[in-house]
Amino acid sequence: MSLNIRNGKKEFPGGKEDWPGAARAAEGCQSFLPDVEEEQAADAARSCYNCRYRRWTAASFTCGTQRN
Amino acid sequence: MRILISIDDTDNLESPGTGALASRIASDLEINGWGKSSYVTRHQLLVHPDIPYTSHNSAMCFAAEVDEAALESIIHYAAEFLKRESAAGSDPGLCVTVVDRLKNPEPLIAFGRKAKQSVITIAEAYSLAETLQLHLSEHGGTGQGVIGALAGAGLRLSGNDGRLKGRLNIADVDGWAAVSDICSHNDVDEVRSLNGPPLKDTERVKLGEKVKTVLLEGKSVLLVVPADGAVAGTAWQTCSRQQLKNY
Repeated sequence: MSLNIRNGKKEFPGGKEDWPGAARAAEGCQSFLPDVEEEQAADAARSCYNCRYRRWTAASFTCGTQRN
Repeated sequence: MRILISIDDTDNLESPGTGALASRIASDLEINGWGKSSYVTRHQLLVHPDIPYTSHNSAMCFAAEVDEAALESIIHYAAEFLKRESAAGSDPGLCVTVVDRLKNPEPLIAFGRKAKQSVITIAEAYSLAETLQLHLSEHGGTGQGVIGALAGAGLRLSGNDGRLKGRLNIADVDGWAAVSDICSHNDVDEVRSLNGPPLKDTERVKLGEKVKTVLLEGKSVLLVVPADGAVAGTAWQTCSRQQLKNY
């Protein structure tokens, strides 16, 4: 995943509604872990928006995994 | 009497979610013969750098009809449950609201709405709970979860926030169901177009893989959009996760 560095954290550049981008980013991710059902936001099962390691921010989310 | 049980901040990245714990308390309330629980709803709170949260900052709440004599047992049980089941490093909070005893629900609803817009302190939460004579308690960590627990109660009480936890199982024929059949489900009050009025009983809806309602005007509402390939108003389909994301 291509991530911006904002305030020292890796933030997804596509914001909160880049559905294809978030799905692509999760596609090859070895760390992807589905979040609990009620916290999943995307229709695609494998999407960073549905990952337990994403942490929502005001504009997007940061990734809690160590990759990148 | 009708109560609201709301919890927040019980999880970490490895544990079951706060929604799962809310569902277990709701189920145990019935198993113990204290009353009848309703569905659990999820309420999104403010995402802000000054607010500690695991990944999403949402509170979970359910309503229940209970015997008045069981109230203290329910509160004690829920508190002990959170102490026992909450994840390491979490900051669980519990709010139990007796709806019938609330002379004025507006301050609680306003608190819920404020928690979606701005940073609130633990002291503010306890102050309001004391004023309104609600049960509010913390069960580990910093106790930060009392803010979300109180806010979750206010948002559920508002009737205009949140979405159902889990999915509904509705009988269908080849994936389709009539509005009247959908509304016969205990957890559905109404079927409504995403941008329009309620549907008529005879209209038909294609049920998606994950069917869930949202809270609108105090009702559990299944939102629908025109079915793929159908002329608007002739056939409908349930909203996708993405379409329900902001509820």
